[in-house]
Amino acid sequence: MEKILDQREKIISEANKFRWELGENLHDILMENIYENAAEIAKKAVKYPDKEIAFSFDRTLDKILTSKYLGFPLMFIMLGVVFWLTIQGSNYPSGLLSNLLVDTIHPVLRSFAANIGFPWWLSGVLIDGAYLSMAWVVSVMLPPMAIFFPLYTLLEDFGYLPRVAFNMDPLYKKVGAHGRQALTMAMGFGCNAAGVIATRVIDSPRERLIAIITNNFSLCNGRWPTQILIATVFIGSAVPAYLAGIVSAAAVVFIAVLGIIFSLLVSWFLSRSLLKGEASAFSLELPPYRPPRVLQTLYTSLIDRTIFVLWRAVVFSVPAGMLIWLVANVTIDGVSLANHFIQYVNPIAFVFGLNGVIFLAYIIAIPANEIVIPTILMLTVANLGIQGVGAGSGVMFELESSADVAAILQAGGWTILTGINLMLFSLLHNPCSTTIFTIYKETRSWKWTLVSTFLPIAMGLTITFFVTQIWRLVTN
Amino acid sequence: MINDNCVNCPAHNLSNLKKLGIDMSSFDYVVALAGNPNTGKSTVFNYLTGLKQHTGNWPGKTVTRAEGGFEYNGKKFKLVDLPGTYSLLSTSVDEEVARDFILFGQPDVTVIVIDATRVERNLNLVLQILEITDRVVICLNLMDEARRNKIEVDARTLSKELGVPVVPTAARQGEGMNELLKYIYEVATGAYVCKPYRIKSRSKELNEAIDKLSKEIQQEFPNLPNTRWVALRLLEGDQNIINAIRNGELGNLNVQKIVELQEA
Amino acid sequence: MNEPLTLLLLGFAILILVFVLVKPESGIISLLLKNKNANQKTLLEDALKFIYNCEYNKINCTLNSIAGNLNISADAAAGIVAKLQNMGLIQVDRDYLTLTSEGKSYALRVIRVHRLWEKFLADETSMTEKDWHKAAEEIEHKLSVEETEKLAAQIGNPVFDPHGDPIPTAEGELPEKAGKHLTEMKPGEIATIIHIEDEPHAIYSQILAEGLYPGMQIRMIEVNDRRVKFEANGEECILSPLIAKSITIGPIKFEKPVEGKLKTLSHLKVGEKGVVLGIAKSLRGQQRRRLMDLGIVPGTEIEAELESISGDPVAYRVRGATIALRKDQADKIYLVKEEEKN
Repeated sequence: MEKILDQREKIISEANKFRWELGENLHDILMENIYENAAEIAKKAVKYPDKEIAFSFDRTLDKILTSKYLGFPLMFIMLGVVFWLTIQGSNYPSGLLSNLLVDTIHPVLRSFAANIGFPWWLSGVLIDGAYLSMAWVVSVMLPPMAIFFPLYTLLEDFGYLPRVAFNMDPLYKKVGAHGRQALTMAMGFGCNAAGVIATRVIDSPRERLIAIITNNFSLCNGRWPTQILIATVFIGSAVPAYLAGIVSAAAVVFIAVLGIIFSLLVSWFLSRSLLKGEASAFSLELPPYRPPRVLQTLYTSLIDRTIFVLWRAVVFSVPAGMLIWLVANVTIDGVSLANHFIQYVNPIAFVFGLNGVIFLAYIIAIPANEIVIPTILMLTVANLGIQGVGAGSGVMFELESSADVAAILQAGGWTILTGINLMLFSLLHNPCSTTIFTIYKETRSWKWTLVSTFLPIAMGLTITFFVTQIWRLVTN
Repeated sequence: MINDNCVNCPAHNLSNLKKLGIDMSSFDYVVALAGNPNTGKSTVFNYLTGLKQHTGNWPGKTVTRAEGGFEYNGKKFKLVDLPGTYSLLSTSVDEEVARDFILFGQPDVTVIVIDATRVERNLNLVLQILEITDRVVICLNLMDEARRNKIEVDARTLSKELGVPVVPTAARQGEGMNELLKYIYEVATGAYVCKPYRIKSRSKELNEAIDKLSKEIQQEFPNLPNTRWVALRLLEGDQNIINAIRNGELGNLNVQKIVELQEA
Repeated sequence: MNEPLTLLLLGFAILILVFVLVKPESGIISLLLKNKNANQKTLLEDALKFIYNCEYNKINCTLNSIAGNLNISADAAAGIVAKLQNMGLIQVDRDYLTLTSEGKSYALRVIRVHRLWEKFLADETSMTEKDWHKAAEEIEHKLSVEETEKLAAQIGNPVFDPHGDPIPTAEGELPEKAGKHLTEMKPGEIATIIHIEDEPHAIYSQILAEGLYPGMQIRMIEVNDRRVKFEANGEECILSPLIAKSITIGPIKFEKPVEGKLKTLSHLKVGEKGVVLGIAKSLRGQQRRRLMDLGIVPGTEIEAELESISGDPVAYRVRGATIALRKDQADKIYLVKEEEKN
C-alpha cells in the first residue's frame, strides 16, 4: 500500500518539477497548439465566401446601430417603445384581472366563508389577508411582465442587446462595471428579481456582483404606479393645473434618472472598495443577428421569466398578506398592533420626513412593491379610524380617483415633503423579498445579500433625512 | 460492471454518475451535451427532450444543470446539459463541472454542438473533449445561418478529420435531428467506433513532459483510457486530478478503449 | 430636539464619524486591526522568512541584518533570535544564523502563503501591483494550512508568483534559483525577465513605473557602471545598475525573439487586419485565459471590424466570431509587424 502511495506522490511531484521547468507559458503554448490544429482542420472543411457576402446584412445593420448619429437615438426609441407598450398595454388587462380577482372573487369567497360558518378571524386571515394580497400581486404584476419579458426576449433573441452593451460600455467601464449591466438595468425596470437573474449574462464575477447589488436602483414596474400616484397627488397639485400633468411626469422621470445615477455611483463605489478583491474579466461577443422566433420566445419568456418571478412573488405574498391582516386586527389593550407600532415609530419617522404608516407599510408589504400603496391606504384609514372608506380593518384597498387618495393622505398628516420623501424612499429602500431571495439564490452568499438589502435602505434614510432637514430649514 | 468483451454495453460510470447526482435507474444510456455559448445548444436540448426535462444545480455548485430524456430504437437515453463553455482548460466552475463530468462520469456519448458559422473557434472545445473521450457526436448546428451567409462547411471532411460523426443540423427548424439521434444511438451501442483526432504539438518541451508523465500514469493506472489528458491536467495543476491520483479514483474508471499516444 | 438645524449638524457629524471610522487604510477600524497584527508571531515568522531568503540568495545573515530588515532594535532582534533558537527553528554559529530543517519548512510554509496570495491577487482581483506585496505580508501570518491548500486548488495550484518567484509546494519543495542579473547581460543578448524582486519597495515601484514585468523580452543595448540601456518588448528603457540588479533574466523558451517597437492591436483602424504575435504578460489570470479561449493566440488573424459610438470598445473579427475588446486590453495584444508577415 505504502509503495502505491509513494508511486502516486512521485507522479504528482514529477508534474510539479515539469511545471517549474516549463515556466508560466504552458497554458499559452497549449492554447496556441490547439488553435493551430483547429485552423488546419477548419481550412480543409470550411469555405468562406468573399468577405462582402458573408454577414453583409449583419455588417450593414451593425454600422447603423453603432453609428455616431443614429446609435443612441435608435436605442432610446427602441427601449422607449418597449416601456410604452408595457405601461400602456398592461393597463387594461390589469384592470380586468383586478376586477375579477379583487372585486368579484374576493366578495364571493367572503360570503362563502360566512355561509359555511368560518369564524371571522379565519376568513380574515385567509381571505382578506392571504388571498387578497396574492390576488393583488397577480393582477398588478402579471400583465406588465407578460408584455415586457417577451418584448425584451425578442430583442435579445434578435441579437440587438449585445450591441446596446457595446455602445454603453464606456459609461460602465468608468465606474468599474461591465457594459452588459446596461441590459440588466433595463431588465430591472421591468422587475428587479428578473434583472438579478439576467446578470447571468455577465461572465465576470466582480462585474456580476456589482450588477446584482445595483439592480435595485432601477425603478421596477411595481414602483412606477406608486411614483405616478404620489407625484400626481402631491407635486402635480402644488403647481397650476395646466402644468400639473407635465410637472408630475417630470418628477417621476427625475426619480428614475436619479435611480440610474445612483446605480452608477454605487457601482463606482463598490468597484473601488468592497469589490476590489473580486475577479474581473471583460469580453463581449457580438453574435450574428438571427430572425427571432415569436412563438418560442413567447413560450420561454412566459415560463422562464414571467411565471418564475410571479410564482416567487405569490409565495411570499401569502404569508405577508396574513401578517398585514393580523397587525391590523390583533389588539393589545384595545389598540391594534399596527397602531401601536405607528405611534411608537412616528417620532423617529418624523426626522426622515416620513411617518409610521409608511415605515410599517414598507416592512409588511415586503413581498412586492405593488401592494405598498394599498397597505398605506388601509393603515392610514385604520389608524385614523375613518369610517366608510375601504372594506374593513386589515383589508387592502385602492381608490379610483387620486383626489380621494389625496384626501385620505392629507387627513393622515401628509404634506408635499412626505410625498417627495416617499418617492425617494420608494426608489431607495430594500429590494422586495422576491428580489432578496433571488439575490441569495444567485450569489449563494449572505454577505452580498445583506449588502444589497441594507445598502439602499441606509442610502434612502440618509437622503430623506437631509432633504427633510434642509426643506424644513428653508420653509420655516 | 466492467466487461471488456461487451461491445454494446453502456460505457458510463454508474458509481461516479451517482456521485455527480445523475440517477440512471430508468435509463439505458447517458448522453452529455456540450458546446460553446450561442451555438443553439439549448435549442438542441429542448428539441431532443421536449417537455421531459427538469432543472436543478450540480451537487455542491451554483451551476445550473438541465437534464431530460428521450427514446430511440427502444433504448432510453438520459440527456445531461453541460454548461456552455469556450474551453475546458480554465479554472472557472463551469469548465470544471463540464470536464469532470466527461472524465469521471464517462457518458456513453458526448454530443458537441458547434456553430457552423464559427467552426474554427468551436473546434477548440471539440479538440479538448476528444482528448478526454472518444465517444463523441458533433452536431454541426446553425447550418441555416451558414447557408444564409454563404459559408460552406463540408461535414464529411470534418468527420474524416476528427474521426467522429458530424451531423449538419438546423435545430430551430428540426433539420437533421433524426440523423443526430441515429448517430447518438450508433455511438452509444458501439455500432460506430470513433477514431478521434488527437492534438498535435510542435513544442518539444511540452511533448516530452506529457509523454513522460503519461507513461508513469499508465503504469500506475493501466486501465485509464486518457492518460494524455490526465498528464496535461496535472501540468495545469488541476486539483481534482491530483486528488483522483492520490485516492486512486482514476483506477476505477471503466475501460473504454486504450488510446494510443500520438506525436507530431 | 426636532430643530432642523440641530439635526442637520448632527447628521453631518455622524456622516463624518462613520467616514473616519471605516475609511480604508487610514480609518480608525483599519488602524486598530493593523496594530493587532504587529504581534510576536508576525515578527518571528518575518525573521524566519528573512533568514531563509539570505540562504536562498547565498548571503550571510546576522543579528544586525535582521534588526534592519524587520525595522526593530537590536535588543528586540536578539530576543527574537533567542526565541527562535529555543523553538529549535534556527542555529547560531558564531555570528551567522542558519535554519534547522524544521525552521526551513516553517519558513517555506509562510513563503508559500505569501506567494500564493500574490498570485491570487494578481490573477483574480483588480488590485494593482504595488498592493499585492503589502496585502500578502499581512495574510501570510493568518492563513491556516487547510485554507492555504483550498486557495491553491482554487487558482489551479500555480508554481510561480507574479514576480516570477517559484511557489514552494505544500511538501516544501522548491527548485534551485535560476537565471542571472540583468546587469550580467552583454549588449545584443536577448532574454526574458523571469523575476523582479519586490523588496525594497522604493526600488520595486521604480521598476513598476517603467512598465516592466516578468515575461517581457529584453534586448540589451548598453550596460556599464552608470546605466543599463535595453529594449523591453521593443520599448527602450534605461535603468541605473542598482535598480537593474533587482531584475533577473533567463533564456527565451517558447516565444520568437522580436526586434524594435511592437505594434499593438489598438492601433488597427476599422477594416485593417493583423496577425497576433502575443499577449503581454501583464494581462493575467482570467482576463488572459478568456482572450485565449476566444482564439486570440499567436498566429491568429484579427481584423478591426466595428467601433462603438465613442470609439472604445472596438469589435474585432477573430476566427469567424466578432468580439468586443476594451482599449486597455487591445493595448496589451501585440501584432506581428507588416514586413515579417510574409
